[in-house]
Amino acid sequence: MEEQQIIEAAKNGDKKAMSELVKSYEKTVYNFAFKICRDSLKAENIMQETFYSMIKSLRQFDGKSKLSTWLYRIVSNHCLMEARKKKYESVSIDDDDGLYDNSYAAGWDSVPANVVENNELKNILDEAIQKLSPDYRIVFLLRDVEGLSTEETGKITELSVPAVKSRLHRARAFLRKEINKAFQK
Amino acid sequence: MKVEKITCKDVMSHICESLGEDLESPKCIEIKSHLDECPDCSNYFKSVEKTIDFYKKYNVELPSEAHNKLIEFLGLSEDK
Repeated sequence: MEEQQIIEAAKNGDKKAMSELVKSYEKTVYNFAFKICRDSLKAENIMQETFYSMIKSLRQFDGKSKLSTWLYRIVSNHCLMEARKKKYESVSIDDDDGLYDNSYAAGWDSVPANVVENNELKNILDEAIQKLSPDYRIVFLLRDVEGLSTEETGKITELSVPAVKSRLHRARAFLRKEINKAFQK
Repeated sequence: MKVEKITCKDVMSHICESLGEDLESPKCIEIKSHLDECPDCSNYFKSVEKTIDFYKKYNVELPSEAHNKLIEFLGLSEDK
């Protein structure tokens, strides 16, 4: 069955179709939620909330955008709500001073490519991204990591294309700077 | 369109090219030619690419327990 037919069946309350949709997207949703909050329990909760919202409001899904885009938006909103409740202690990167640092640590050339098996590198990546405010984090993850277009990222985050680009440049520069610092230690 | 001479700071604040922006824009063309001549910016560019690549490759497995809990939470268990 085509995805559109599965969505239609799910809209009409077909539980098997709902289950099919959940199975198709649960890995993407869980991974994206994990990448934003860097915590498996929180990612699990956000995944549950996201699919709960999807099932509850599937009738409003008009098919003009992809279902994945719609789900990314729900995950992003849940994560931003969580972040606002908790008031993340993130670093402000609205100021250019010190954001662009062209020192280049030797670690960039010597780090093994396999990220998943390199716990030290994983810790560096976790620490760096957690310092970035969730608004910037989401733009970086959608655009660079999930590979969405600038326009799609703008729709999900309700930002203009220039605003997405500006946040993206700053997020990249910030993460690069943090990783560079860790490689210098 | 005339583009002013690009500086290293411009390059750093506007990394484009293979990072997914408009390759043909005058600014990107100018940045590319600057990267070919400037080792500092070239290293900077390489490390931004690596930064993105690290985060792309850092994926996690969905635990089967989390999948089961999700299906249960949504009331989609097959025996229901």
